[in-house]
Amino acid sequence: MSGSSGTITIKCKDMRVIQFDIPGMEQCLNIAHSIEILSCLDNVCKMYPFFYKPTDSNLPKQWGLSTPETHYSKMKDLHKKWRLSSVNRDYSVCPSYPPAVIVPSSIGDDVLIKAAKFRQGGRFPVLCYYHRKNGMVIVRSSQPLTGANRKRCSEDELLLQAVIEGSDKGYIIDMRSSQQAQQAWMTGGGFESKSCYERWKRLHRHMERGKVLQESLIKLVEACSDESHNMDRWLSKLENSKWLSHVQTALSTAGLLAECVERDGHSALVHGYEGTDCSLLISTLAQLIVDPSCRSLEGFLALLEREWLQGGHPFQQRCAHSAFSHARLQQESPVFLLLLDSVWQLWRQFPLALGFSEVLLLRLATEAYASDYGTFLCNNDQERCAAGVKDRTHCLFQSLLKPTERDYYSNPLYEPTELAIWPSVHPQSLQLWKGFFLRWTEQARLLEEVQEEIRNMVIKWGKLALS
Amino acid sequence: MASPVSVYSNTRDPQIRTTARDSLKMDLLANVSLLPGEERIIDKDVIYICPFNGAVKGKVLITNYRLYFNSVDLDVLVSLDVPLGAISRVEKMGGASSRGENSYGLDITCKDMRNLRFALKQEGHSRRDLFELLFRYAFPLSHGSPLFAYLNQEKFPENGWSIYKPVEEFRRQGLPNNKWRITFINKNYELCDTYPTVLAVPFKSTEEDLKRVATFRSRGRIPVLSWIHRENKAVIVRCSQPLVGMSGKRNKDDERYLDLIREANDTTKLTIYDARPSVNAVANKATGGGYEGDEYQNAELVFLDIQNIHVMRESLKKLKDIVYPTVEESHWLSSLESTHWLEHIKLVLSGAIQVADKVSGGHSVVVHCSDGWDRTAQLTSLAMLMLDSHFRTLRGLQVLIEKEWISFGHKFASRIGHGDKNHTDQDRSPIFVQFIDCVWQMTKQFPTAFEFNENLLLTILDHLYSCRFGTFLYNCESARDQNEVRTKTLSLWSLVNSKMEIYLNPFYTPESGRVLYPVASMRHLELWVTYYIRWNPRIQHQQQSPVEQRYRELLALRDEYLKKLEQLQMSDSSSTSSDLANSSAPNASSSTPPKKYLRTPL
Repeated sequence: MSGSSGTITIKCKDMRVIQFDIPGMEQCLNIAHSIEILSCLDNVCKMYPFFYKPTDSNLPKQWGLSTPETHYSKMKDLHKKWRLSSVNRDYSVCPSYPPAVIVPSSIGDDVLIKAAKFRQGGRFPVLCYYHRKNGMVIVRSSQPLTGANRKRCSEDELLLQAVIEGSDKGYIIDMRSSQQAQQAWMTGGGFESKSCYERWKRLHRHMERGKVLQESLIKLVEACSDESHNMDRWLSKLENSKWLSHVQTALSTAGLLAECVERDGHSALVHGYEGTDCSLLISTLAQLIVDPSCRSLEGFLALLEREWLQGGHPFQQRCAHSAFSHARLQQESPVFLLLLDSVWQLWRQFPLALGFSEVLLLRLATEAYASDYGTFLCNNDQERCAAGVKDRTHCLFQSLLKPTERDYYSNPLYEPTELAIWPSVHPQSLQLWKGFFLRWTEQARLLEEVQEEIRNMVIKWGKLALS
Repeated sequence: MASPVSVYSNTRDPQIRTTARDSLKMDLLANVSLLPGEERIIDKDVIYICPFNGAVKGKVLITNYRLYFNSVDLDVLVSLDVPLGAISRVEKMGGASSRGENSYGLDITCKDMRNLRFALKQEGHSRRDLFELLFRYAFPLSHGSPLFAYLNQEKFPENGWSIYKPVEEFRRQGLPNNKWRITFINKNYELCDTYPTVLAVPFKSTEEDLKRVATFRSRGRIPVLSWIHRENKAVIVRCSQPLVGMSGKRNKDDERYLDLIREANDTTKLTIYDARPSVNAVANKATGGGYEGDEYQNAELVFLDIQNIHVMRESLKKLKDIVYPTVEESHWLSSLESTHWLEHIKLVLSGAIQVADKVSGGHSVVVHCSDGWDRTAQLTSLAMLMLDSHFRTLRGLQVLIEKEWISFGHKFASRIGHGDKNHTDQDRSPIFVQFIDCVWQMTKQFPTAFEFNENLLLTILDHLYSCRFGTFLYNCESARDQNEVRTKTLSLWSLVNSKMEIYLNPFYTPESGRVLYPVASMRHLELWVTYYIRWNPRIQHQQQSPVEQRYRELLALRDEYLKKLEQLQMSDSSSTSSDLANSSAPNASSSTPPKKYLRTPL
């Protein structure tokens, strides 16, 4: 075998492509084999976060930034009409919900249990945002299991009725076209019909998800990593990947949801099919638009924790392989990346309104796919508890907020505003997130350095102004 | 009411307008602050057909400088303030008999990426006076009247005309030296009527040589030095195409002259960048032009594939079509691609990068296109911006524009058509806009390398058309001398330098030695949305002002920081040295010089 050699090309989840020339074919094959196995572990407990030991920290008592309980207890305005229910304390009502959820005070746990049976995956409507200005709320769920024979569920109707108690109507933002929503009958799903949910007005906004999103990402990454110098079709390729139009849909749907609550003054329910992907995407973006407290560094991380981790986005299934996987993975889908991209667009359009930096978004985009920390492991709270994630791994969000790290992830230009930040969703206002998609080019590195420089400058001046 | 009472006289005759509503209208117009020297010509009730808000009732005021419109309805606050210089075409739309609401009026095409449409009452030729006056004042040169720049009575504390003094700029570059001399051979514009009076040429060339070379270069635009590298002495030389023609003429003097340029810094090979696509260069032989062939020993010729003024004009026209009045939404990116605007930007930038790279590698270059006043100016000035950090300062950019564009005869008058009614003139082309776009692309890629901000670039482009200043008037220095531009008009730089703080980039960190190579790949170029689509209210309202406000605060902070630093340095140099050793060092070392620099004009 002497004299022979092999080449290993590693296409990373963070879009980097690395090539190794390894002398000795057998050696090379062995290494490739090891990498292949180690990069596709099935058993969560064997993943790296369980072995990672940061030099400077012990496991803190509480894992994560907050719990549904503390979140609820802080929101005093809410307490009159909303209560914290622990109906899901053993995850039996809804496996993908946290043990405690916020529901209308007038609704008992027995009603919740029945309503959960009428919602896909048990994801009955729960509160995710309370708008202090007018007391309106955003509620999210999965689709109702109406089915071909048009089942009804009086408990579910009651629950939704209680959500808009005292108001003349509410909006349902269904992230499927009305045709898709009707087709869902055939597979046991469905939508809230006008006759059963009289005071709810349904708005359909079709959002792509799952495989379509994944393919879009693959096309985009292909276009970005096209090494050929013939770049004259770049803009067409970018357009054909449709990634930016997904960003546009996400932001405009979130804008619509925010409008319902902020401008129209009504509560809204948001769902699509399972309620674990686009619903979270839209509710998160809408909260960033209307709620100033979500825009600080802590506020944003806490929002992600509530909506995406406790809210049960299946990270393990969605963020397993990123854009380069050759296997056609049914569950892989870059919804979280789409969120981060949409947030980046907000950040670019409102450079002063968000308290965190682009570096944070880049870090999150990397960590969601491969991490030293346990934060993005597993698919929901239940699985995380079962695997002992909270006892045996470190929490990313806590580490990002350490005094030594904070500055790095903060936006030095941050000037909190109480106003809603309405993003422009016109195609010419949206841009490719170069910092992420072209991050391994020389230019992106230079820009990163410059941003770093600007940050240092501003921090330095700020300190001086205080002194 | 029907009679156009106030057409030619001063329009302040309020006796016929008595209702409260009308007086409100008058107030609206009375609030218009006119420039010294600006005079009201006519005002009139019109309906502005706003592409974003629909028909808006209001009043239009024409002065000898601008078109001003204010809406009557307080619900829809629409106002327009358009320098007449920005107007390229005024047309009547609809006839006295045309039907349909608001179908009778005026259609105005502007040079700055927008159109305006006003509707008037159909009775009594109501638009005639407005049309005629607008036509006369928007195109004064076509009517034998002076441009507004000659009527402008503004006063500024700074005098922008002193910003660029050729000899001082050459001195800054270290010239003359033992290889390059300054010649005044063109002091009466006899060698070349489109060149400036002061030129830098190879030391060894005689005045006779220059005259002979001039016969072989299109319009006598001989190769002259634009910039010299301080260390390696490589130079950027600019000129027009050689007059080779169909028969393949040669000129020994021209060949020897180019070799003198090469010799001046002992390069083995002189690189000649011909900005044109090679087919065009060949085609130029038919009209007596051409390019340097093999007879030029020790020289290599590189074509940079940049298209001509007509292609650029059409490209920008296409861009306007997809952004105004409504932005093409459904296939935005592919529509943008089909305008080829960014592709042209890419070619110009990458050409300049090649020039800069050659020169920083120690090799002298010659740059030309056909006449050497469009693409050549783009390439030399952009390469100089990459190579020389001085040009990245607020005043440096002014010098660069004065030098490479204005003094070397970029035909602003022909390209822009100041005060000229002939809107279809084939000589018009947005070459300078394209250059400013390239500068903007560079500022995007190097956010800390430029002392000026986007606002300066926007201001420059606004006054490229406005005719308020003499800066961009006329095609060349000889014409400017003849028309006494420097004594009878104001310089744009007077305005800018009297209010510098609004044009400064708070994040500017001077780095004198660094060559900037922007990435000219399509992936890294962006459409300059805040210029090309700025009339669209959606783009306007993207929170620009708070950012600017914040930037101003940051500038104040920075100044405070620099002041304290200065104090520290003065009070105790030893105790601060440790602090200055780390990251603050580049800031500190460069903080004082540029400030002094700013106060002493060259």
